[in-house]
Amino acid sequence: MNKPLIAITLAAATGFAQAESATYSIDPTHTFVTFEANHFGTSTLRGRFDRKEGTVTFDRAGKTGKAEINIDVSSISTGVAPLDTHLKSKDFFDVAAGNGSAKFVADKFGFNGDKVGEVSGSLTMKGKTMPVTLKATNFNCYTNPLFKREVCGGDFETTIMRSQWGIDYGLTYGLPDSIRLLIQIEAVKQ
Amino acid sequence: MRHAAWLLLAAGACAQAEPVVYRIDPAHTRVHFEVRHFGTSTTRGRFDTLAGSIVLDRGAGSGEVSIVVDTGSVSTGIAPFDGTLRGANLLDAQAQPQAYFVAHRMVFDGDRLASLSGEFTLRGTSRPLTLRALHFACGPHPLLKREVCGGDFEAELTRSEFGMTYGLPFVADRVRLQIEVEAIRD
Repeated sequence: MNKPLIAITLAAATGFAQAESATYSIDPTHTFVTFEANHFGTSTLRGRFDRKEGTVTFDRAGKTGKAEINIDVSSISTGVAPLDTHLKSKDFFDVAAGNGSAKFVADKFGFNGDKVGEVSGSLTMKGKTMPVTLKATNFNCYTNPLFKREVCGGDFETTIMRSQWGIDYGLTYGLPDSIRLLIQIEAVKQ
Repeated sequence: MRHAAWLLLAAGACAQAEPVVYRIDPAHTRVHFEVRHFGTSTTRGRFDTLAGSIVLDRGAGSGEVSIVVDTGSVSTGIAPFDGTLRGANLLDAQAQPQAYFVAHRMVFDGDRLASLSGEFTLRGTSRPLTLRALHFACGPHPLLKREVCGGDFEAELTRSEFGMTYGLPFVADRVRLQIEVEAIRD
């Protein structure tokens, strides 16, 4: 709760000097973090993290931005309870050992015109931090008719190798290392 | 690997050309949907409870797929939103607790399953629906020691055709379905 407040205060303070920069708070009801993994060369396993929060600050004119998204790993949801339990266990995320949160921090926004094209930063999971670049497959801003505020967002994706974060269960018997992350974000202008 | 599986199928077909029944494995079968929100981000959700079977006649290159989806099992990760989706102007889960997909037409591209066509029933309304196979393969499951067939399929539907007009046009009419299926030989 404190972090978004600080970000808003900062944005308000710098707002006088640079009118284009704005802070957006992530709308958790329109933000989804989904992962996809192929299962034994046949079907794709999909899951998501249900609890996430964060802020995005970006300047469309100056073409800069910052984002911080915190993900509650224990909110992992595949729709199959025993699988969720296994994913939280020592074999994968090891939530009980203090790995209950993951964080994506980005400080490099690439723009195509005035639209965000990619976001580069680092992803921390299971105590390891590695670089990650999210590519925007769709980006747009609109005025939400209900809260009369600007909302910006889009669809982002990347593919990571889970072994880089020390999550290597099942690699020896055919579970894939490569995991596709699909992130749908909407953030409301503060 | 996939090719090998189909070669096995082709080989098996000569010896045994009769329908084989596979039961859908609910732990590895899911229906996801995607719909564009205000032209910006994609809202995603899934149905957690479903059941069904696949009958394959490898010799004849034909089969039948039937899947029953529990509409009340819709899950987006956001409880109030799930409530809205179950409501009378969207899924109408109370009056229409189940959706059905029944397909009789399998199209093969060489030895590869290309698509599956049939009828989808949602809110009591039936419309033709074709699932495109992104990949599909059969092979022995290393733990179960039984043959498993599975794959990824996708389809698009127009929700207003099923009477779901709530939220148009801010929330798109076109809904993309992603279906991942695994089925174990009976």
